[in-house]
Amino acid sequence: MSQSSAILLSLTLNGEPVQVAAPAHWTLLEVLRYKLDLIGSKQGCDKGDCGACTVQIDGLPALACLTLAALADGRSVTTVEALGCGPVVHPLLDAFDRHDAAQCGFCTPGILMAAESLLRRSARPVTRHEAASALAGNLCRCTGYTKILDAVVDASERLRAEHDDGR
Amino acid sequence: MSQEEDSLTKNVRLRLGFADQLREVTVTTPKDEPRPWDADSALTVVGQPTPRVEGSLKASGAAVYTHDVRLPGMLYAAILRSPHACATLEHLDVAAALAQPGVVAAVPLAKVGDRLRFAGHDVAALAARSRDEARAALSAIAVRYRPEPFVVDTLEAMQPGAPQVHAAAVSERRTEGDEPGEASGGAARGNVRLGPSQSKGDHKKGLRQAKVTHSATYTTQVHTHSALETHSLVVRWEDPRRMTVWCSTQGIFSVRDEMAEIFGLKPADVRVITEHLGGGFGAKFGASAPGSRLGYAAGELARRAGAPVSLCLDRREEQLCTGNRPDSIQQVTLGAGADGALTAIHVVAHGSGGIATGAGVGRSAFGVYSRCPNIKVESHDVFTNAGPSTAFRAPGHPQGAFAIELAIDELAQKMGRDPLALRLAHVEHAVRRYQLELGRERFQWAARRAEAEARRARGARIRHGVGVACSIWGDYGRAKAAVVTVSVGRDGAIFVRNGAQDLGTGIRTVLGQVVAEVLGRPLAEVTVLIGDSELGPSVGSGGSQTTSSVAPAARNAAEMVRAQLAELAARLLDRPISELSWGTDGSARAGRRSLPFRELCQKIEGEAVVASATRPKTYGAHPMRYPGGDNYQIAGVQFAAVELDTWTGELRAAEILAIHECGRTHNPLTARSQVQGGVLLGVSYALMEARVIDRRFGQVLNPNLESYKIAGARDLPAIDVVFCEVHTGANSTGAVGIGEPATIPTAASIACAALHAIGRPVRSLPITPDRVLAALAGQDGA
Repeated sequence: MSQSSAILLSLTLNGEPVQVAAPAHWTLLEVLRYKLDLIGSKQGCDKGDCGACTVQIDGLPALACLTLAALADGRSVTTVEALGCGPVVHPLLDAFDRHDAAQCGFCTPGILMAAESLLRRSARPVTRHEAASALAGNLCRCTGYTKILDAVVDASERLRAEHDDGR
Repeated sequence: MSQEEDSLTKNVRLRLGFADQLREVTVTTPKDEPRPWDADSALTVVGQPTPRVEGSLKASGAAVYTHDVRLPGMLYAAILRSPHACATLEHLDVAAALAQPGVVAAVPLAKVGDRLRFAGHDVAALAARSRDEARAALSAIAVRYRPEPFVVDTLEAMQPGAPQVHAAAVSERRTEGDEPGEASGGAARGNVRLGPSQSKGDHKKGLRQAKVTHSATYTTQVHTHSALETHSLVVRWEDPRRMTVWCSTQGIFSVRDEMAEIFGLKPADVRVITEHLGGGFGAKFGASAPGSRLGYAAGELARRAGAPVSLCLDRREEQLCTGNRPDSIQQVTLGAGADGALTAIHVVAHGSGGIATGAGVGRSAFGVYSRCPNIKVESHDVFTNAGPSTAFRAPGHPQGAFAIELAIDELAQKMGRDPLALRLAHVEHAVRRYQLELGRERFQWAARRAEAEARRARGARIRHGVGVACSIWGDYGRAKAAVVTVSVGRDGAIFVRNGAQDLGTGIRTVLGQVVAEVLGRPLAEVTVLIGDSELGPSVGSGGSQTTSSVAPAARNAAEMVRAQLAELAARLLDRPISELSWGTDGSARAGRRSLPFRELCQKIEGEAVVASATRPKTYGAHPMRYPGGDNYQIAGVQFAAVELDTWTGELRAAEILAIHECGRTHNPLTARSQVQGGVLLGVSYALMEARVIDRRFGQVLNPNLESYKIAGARDLPAIDVVFCEVHTGANSTGAVGIGEPATIPTAASIACAALHAIGRPVRSLPITPDRVLAALAGQDGA
């Protein structure tokens, strides 16, 4: 396995074009964490059970640990690092902070990426049930999810209000 | 009290207690201790719901965990593990692995002739330039095992003639996650060893006096911690006598001491850094669990390679080798008189922590229903060829609470008594009584019980059930263990330094709040530095002891800094210090003159005013002690409402009311988070989680997060958290712990609610649909 030849990937990563060479059998998560040192996406189980590695590919949540890096070639990949670098604090991050939605914080990046995708694709504020369904693939061992759902619903309402104000 | 001691102490009058049960109490404290915060202390920062100071870091993915440490030239380690439930190592040669691509160093972790006692035991480790090169090279290690007879089932291991797991006596490994005073160490017979026991009165006599008895066996499963960040450490040698270790640990100093011992270094020459850690729950003390040599592996590989080494376990290794909550088989016998008063409680418990000790069942049966005059609880460790137990959030307690609480409900059922009334008749602890009464109203106990019974009577498909259970824990805040340093610089910058780690509980924020409170400055002006052994001695985050060990020390240090600043202000204002007061904005005042904080700071001689302090032992003012010591007893109760589908057997936790106390709640926002998390951990334990091990092959069948099922967002009940603040008079800030109590009674309350819904008990955890259907079909105990 370790002998496999390297391939050259071209992808849009957090809005920037990136070219990176990696062994052909590497996953997207391995490329992010061990080639690009983008350590925000976490490696909790490496087999698609915990959701800590959730990123977005073309805007949709994807498990980076189950995605061969080669499959991301030519596509747009967004990681948690993109959420934190805007000029103003993203309402979702702000809500996670205010509601105390992270305890150890290890699962948080994956949850943020799954939640952000849900909020961006929803035309109206999401319900708790919708938020819980969207996060059903993300495990958290500390919080008991209550405040995560509080934060997602709160951010959703604020995003809608901002959107309506902007119209 | 001797005269010498007398001269070192003073008496202060405090208003202590809770709710409407406050009273004046004289408390003896060390002479230099500040007046402890009590019910009359009007605080403005401590006690306010406060988002964590590191919240934006965590909410943006920028927080760096041990998994994320990247150092120049860093190598990645992998470990070869025995595939056999028990085997003798016949041959081991790591040399061939060194020839594999990318491999830089390899070390044996076991010797030829060693007995490897569980599937997953360490054999050898190597380090390579990439993770997959390291893993691929493991197959080049030459190894031969001679399989031995093994036993993985707890009951089978108790039988005469069962394969002997340990040939010699087992030394107990105790960590800060274990309850102090719970040491066992009785002689072993076969695989069975007597563990911690508690006794009062004469349980045999109590049973003879009983008019009603209940006797049944309760079992619980092996429960794995499943923290999302696996055990990990990164070792870098700075020179041949000094190393830096980044470690995902809840006990920075336990790792420091272990690494120093392994490599013959001075503890001061081992620096341990844990900026953030991705969960621990008790499994992350020291560098590894029994049967593992992770610290040696990473350190020795780094030494041989002359490069930093990162060792991060994969999920499978994490589930197999790093710890678990032992299973239990508990025979509970209760006796009650004609008046319904308990005359005896007798628990005989056996449990297996695999190759390790630690299978006690906590103090619920002994300590909660303390009006019962005759109690005996006997715990036994049963050794099996399975991965080691380690401390797990309230070691022993959830399994012990499950058995005694469900047994109490069964006895109540037999006597036709309300289970809540039966509890109230036997609970002495005033706070716990208050909590039970509060919950009875808030949860609408009587109305909901009646509604559920009506549903059952009319044969509804969906049934309801309501139950209640109690928690008991001790205040393990430690004296002199944590040294907190507070400094105020000439520029007004405030720093708090301590080597504690944040397990996710929010200790950074609490430290900042306490210091902000004392100095009268906004929290935003306080910088809290933790997570590094260089920042001063501290405690491990286990036993719910961090806040109560560290927060009072922070207050004491901040008070010393304030006193120095007050002296300076008195000089500057040219007034005697006795006239000086401290404004809530941090300004110093004397008469009509005042000196704003920043102006005062500018006059500091030298760089900063600095003070370090610790905390003394608990003042001991509290009336209700934890059994077996002087510690304050922490009370909590949880009420559960369940929904049962009688067609599918699916039982769902619909609602949990969690009423707890942590002395003075320093940060209600983060304390609430901890309780919510503890409750969901309990829900998951009650209904879903179980490590499954194959008896014939000795292999764990679900060392993952897929078929080892932990609760997700869709499994969440409505959780109502109520804090019943208690002014304990235990230390200068009044903190006691909350982390462990929050998870103790959850599974028990759900089991009691399940009994109410089904009409028959499910005496085994987890309460899965097959067991529920069996109980519905009339099988007692399922």
